[in-house]
Amino acid sequence: MNISELIHEILLEDKTMIKLPFGDGMFDIKASVVHTWIIMAVVFVLILILTSNMKVHNISRRQAAVESFVLFVRGVVKGILGEKADRYTDYICTVLIFLGIANLSGLFGIEPPTMDLNVTVALSLMSIILVEAAGIVEKGVGGWLKSFAAPIAVVLPMNILELFIRPLSLCMRLFGNVLGATVIMELIKGIFAPVLPVPFSLYFDIFDGMIQAYVFVFLTSLYIGEAVE
Amino acid sequence: MNLTALGAAIAVFTGIGAGIGIGFATSKATDAVARQPEADGKIMKLLILGCALAEATAIYGFIIALAILFVK
Repeated sequence: MNISELIHEILLEDKTMIKLPFGDGMFDIKASVVHTWIIMAVVFVLILILTSNMKVHNISRRQAAVESFVLFVRGVVKGILGEKADRYTDYICTVLIFLGIANLSGLFGIEPPTMDLNVTVALSLMSIILVEAAGIVEKGVGGWLKSFAAPIAVVLPMNILELFIRPLSLCMRLFGNVLGATVIMELIKGIFAPVLPVPFSLYFDIFDGMIQAYVFVFLTSLYIGEAVE
Repeated sequence: MNLTALGAAIAVFTGIGAGIGIGFATSKATDAVARQPEADGKIMKLLILGCALAEATAIYGFIIALAILFVK
């Protein structure tokens, strides 16, 4: 397939999946939203299965695995957030698990929701709002405003710019990586479909997706840890 | 001649910076592990973070190239 045709198909095609009548016109539901719902359903069912029938004594093997996984993820996130901000651990873990599964969903043939710029913009806006809210909760409105001029007043414009640059770079990094990986995978599939994509898929679909989920979460927690200091 | 393709190609030059950055980071990480093999885990974590940040510049170039080519 022609490269420009391929990119047209990935980027510019109308991604509307469901059209609902709404008011005078139609309310379009994008494919990324539907895929997010599928991922939510999968995660929800997984959670229900994994957490049912939990006990204090004589725990099953499944419960032991779930507990060690949860403790591991929480430990990693708490380590980045630091002591003062560890009340935000659960949100960060949720984003990490969602992003991890969303980036892996390309393996199961559905288009990763993070390939839609709208999804990553929403996620990064949530991150920056949480960062600033954490700062306000910790220092009060006055202290938060003052922190823009810290350590010296000269950096004030830089700090205000950072308010916009941080979410922009967060969402562009995630979107660009997932989009780039998908485009390259489609090209490789076009060259020789049966065998060649396997090793590349290991890198582009699994490793890169996991790394980007980790980096997104890492940076968000780093910003929160900085905001509450 | 259509110059938009040339503009997109120039945007992809950001990959040079990303390559140099990741190269530096990896060489320093190798040095650090050779010097202190017991700090392996911490160095690995920082290396992955640094690589992801350096790689982001290449990704920005890629996005801008796509924007130049396909957004009318």
